[in-house]
Amino acid sequence: MSTTLLEEVPPPRLTPIEGVKEGLQRRWARPGGRAYAVLRWTGATVFAVIVLGLVVSLLASSSQAFGHSGLSFLWSGTYNATKDIYPTGIFIIGTLITTAVAIILAVPIGVGTAAFLSELAPKWLAGPLSVLIDLIAAVPSIVVGLWGLLVLSPVFARHVEPFLKKIPGLEWFFHGPAYGPSMLLAGTVLAVMILPTIVALSRTALQGVANEDREAARALGATRWQVVRTAVVPGARTGIEAAVILAMGRALGETIAVAMVIGNNNALPHSLLAPGATLGSAIINNFGEANPGLDRSSIIGLVVVLLAITALVNVGGQLLLRRRLRAEGAVA
Amino acid sequence: MLCLGAVALVAAACSSTPTAVKKKVHKTSTSSTTTSTTAAPAGATTTTAAAAPTTAPPAAHTATTTAPKATTACSTTGGALSATCDTQSPSFKLAGAGANSIQPFFTRVFYYYNQADKGVSVNYSPAGSSVGVTDIQQNTVNFGDSEIPIKTPATGTAGNILQVPVDLGGVAISYNLPGVGAGLKLDGPTLAGIYLGKITKWNDAAIAALNPGTNLPSTTIVPVRRADSSGPGYDLDQYLIDTGGAQWTGSAAGTAASTKWPITNVGIGEQLNTGVAGFIQQTAGAIGYVEYAYSLQASFTNAALKNAAGSFVKPSQSAIAAAGAQAANLSAANFNIVNGPGAATYPLANFSWTLIYQKQANTTLGVVLGKLFDWVTTTGQQQAAALGYSPLPANVSALAHQTLLTLQNAAGQALFSS
Repeated sequence: MSTTLLEEVPPPRLTPIEGVKEGLQRRWARPGGRAYAVLRWTGATVFAVIVLGLVVSLLASSSQAFGHSGLSFLWSGTYNATKDIYPTGIFIIGTLITTAVAIILAVPIGVGTAAFLSELAPKWLAGPLSVLIDLIAAVPSIVVGLWGLLVLSPVFARHVEPFLKKIPGLEWFFHGPAYGPSMLLAGTVLAVMILPTIVALSRTALQGVANEDREAARALGATRWQVVRTAVVPGARTGIEAAVILAMGRALGETIAVAMVIGNNNALPHSLLAPGATLGSAIINNFGEANPGLDRSSIIGLVVVLLAITALVNVGGQLLLRRRLRAEGAVA
Repeated sequence: MLCLGAVALVAAACSSTPTAVKKKVHKTSTSSTTTSTTAAPAGATTTTAAAAPTTAPPAAHTATTTAPKATTACSTTGGALSATCDTQSPSFKLAGAGANSIQPFFTRVFYYYNQADKGVSVNYSPAGSSVGVTDIQQNTVNFGDSEIPIKTPATGTAGNILQVPVDLGGVAISYNLPGVGAGLKLDGPTLAGIYLGKITKWNDAAIAALNPGTNLPSTTIVPVRRADSSGPGYDLDQYLIDTGGAQWTGSAAGTAASTKWPITNVGIGEQLNTGVAGFIQQTAGAIGYVEYAYSLQASFTNAALKNAAGSFVKPSQSAIAAAGAQAANLSAANFNIVNGPGAATYPLANFSWTLIYQKQANTTLGVVLGKLFDWVTTTGQQQAAALGYSPLPANVSALAHQTLLTLQNAAGQALFSS
C-alpha cells in the first residue's frame, strides 16, 4: 500500500463565497505580513539609532577631555589652567562603594520579602504589602534625597553611626568622624530606592518555580523554611540575579538623591562613615557651572565613564545569566 | 526645620503671603492671587513690613471694577519707565531663572507687583546663578539673575545682555555651637584655616586668640560649603583671597575667585542655601556660609567678620547697607564690593544682577519687563529690609534706571524715553 503525502491530499471543496474569502485572506496575509515586518524593523532601527546617536554624541563632546589627558582621565581626571580637576578615580570608587552598600543592604531584605510575599504571606496581606512596596518606586528621587537629608541624616549622625563605631571587629569599615552625610547613608538611601525592583522581580521569579519542586521537598520531610531555602530560592536564582543586575544599574546611575546625602567630598573615603562623591553626584554638581570647552568636555567624559560602567555591569550580568541558563537547560 | 517648613507651607497655602517658604528646593512660583486688597496682607507672619506697601505705579487698578482705566497699550513705545501700561489684555506670565540667594526677595517683590498690577505674574526658578546665566544666554527665559555678573561684554544668542543691579544682600557665616552665642569673632586667616582643614577644633588657639573672653568647647569643626556653584561661595572666596594669606592663595584655591568652591576635599558639601542651612541646623559644631536672608529666617548665630578697617562686624541690614554705600563706580565690569572700606561695613556683601536682553524681539514683552524691573529697583526696594536685604543706594538705583533705558525693540529703537 502506497503512503500518501500531505501534498497529495486534494484540498477540500469550497463554496464560491468561501473560495473568494479564502483568496482575499491569502492576498492580505502577504502584504500584512510585509507591513508587520517593516514595522518591526523600523522600530528596532529607530531604537538602535537613538541609542547609538546618544553614545556617539557623548563620545564626540568628551573627546576634548580624553584628548587632553588620555587614558589617565579614568583615574586622575582632567587638569586645566584654572585648576578644575575632576578626580574621576575617586568618583568611580565612590560609585562602586555606594552601589555595593546598597546591594548588600537591599538584596537580603528584598529577596526575603519576596519569599515572604510569595510563599508565606496570607493572601489578604500579600496584595496590599506588595502595593506599598511598589509605591516606594513611585517616589521621585529628589524626594527620597530630601527625606534622606532631613530625616535619616540626623538619625544616622546621632544614633546609627556612633553605634556602628562601637561594634568590635568592624573598625576598619566604621571609624572616623561621622556627621551624617556619608557613603553609608548614600548606600542606605540607594537601597531604599532599589528595594521595589528587587522585591517585584524576585517575587515573580519565586512564583515561577514549579510546584512539583516544592511538593518534592515537602515529601522528603522538609520544613517550610527548608522548602524555601533548598527548593524554591535555588530554582529562582536566575530570576533573582536578573533582578539584582537591574537594581545595580539603577543604583549606579542615581544622581540627585546621592548628591544630597553623600557630603560631596572629593577625597578617598577612609571609612564608610566618611563623606565622598560618586560619578552621578559629581556630574549634577558641576554641570551647571562648567565653562564650555575643556571643562564641559570633562563633565561629559564623566558621563561616558558612568555609561561605560553601567553598560559593563549590564552586559556582564546578561552574559553570566545566559551561561547559567544554558547550563541549566543542558542539565534539565 | 521640618516644622518651620510645614508651618511655612500652611501659612503660604492659607494666606498666600510671600514669606520666603523653604518648601521647594529648586522651584518656586508666584502667580496671581485672588485677593485684591491693597493694604498690608493679613498674616504677614514672621517679618514686620518695613512700610505699608504703596500701590505701586499711579493709576493702579481698583479692586473690584473691571472697567479699565485709560492706560496706554504696552506695545506703545517711547513712554516713561515709571508709567503704567495696560497689562490686562493679554496678561503676562514671565519666566525667570537664576540665583538661589535672591529668591526670598523676588518672591515677595513679585507678589507685591502682582497685587498692584494683576496682569503680570512672574515664575522664578531659583536653581542657581549659573543656571540663570546659561538659560538667559540660550534665551529660554525672559530674564535671568546672577550674583556675579557675566563678564563684559555680555552676550547671548539674541544679542547683548543688559545687567541690572536689583538687590543688595550679604553672606552670613553661620555656626551651630551650643553654649556659644552670636558674634564669635573670625577673620580671614582663621576662616581659611577652617576651610583648608587645618583648624579642626573650636577651641583652637587661633580662634581663642580672637575671642579672649569666650569659653570655647572642644567640639570638632564641621565646615559646610556649597556643592553647587554659588554667589555666596564667590564672595567668601574673594574675601579669603584678600585676607586669608598665602595659605589660601597658594593652595588649590588660587588667586581668582570662583563661584565653584575651590577646596572640595574638606568638609561637607550641600546643595543650595537651604541644604547648607539645614545641615548647620542639625549638626553641632558646623560652620557654613548662607545668604543673610536665610540665616535670619532660621535664626542662626552668625560670626562677626573682620573688615578692611579692622573692626569685627556682624551681618545686619545696616552693615550691608554700609557696604553697598561704598560702591561709588558700580557697573557690571566693576561689581566687587567684598572687603570694602569703612568701619561699619560688613565685608561679605554683593549686589544681585538681573540679566535681560537689550534687544527685545517682542516689543510688548520688553516694555513689561522694563517697567517690572524699574518698579523692583525703586518702589520694590521697600520690601528688601524686612527680609534681610538692604535697599539699593541711590546711585545704584540710578544705574539700574539708566541701564533699563537702553532697552530696544527688534528694530533698534529705544523702548523708553525717560
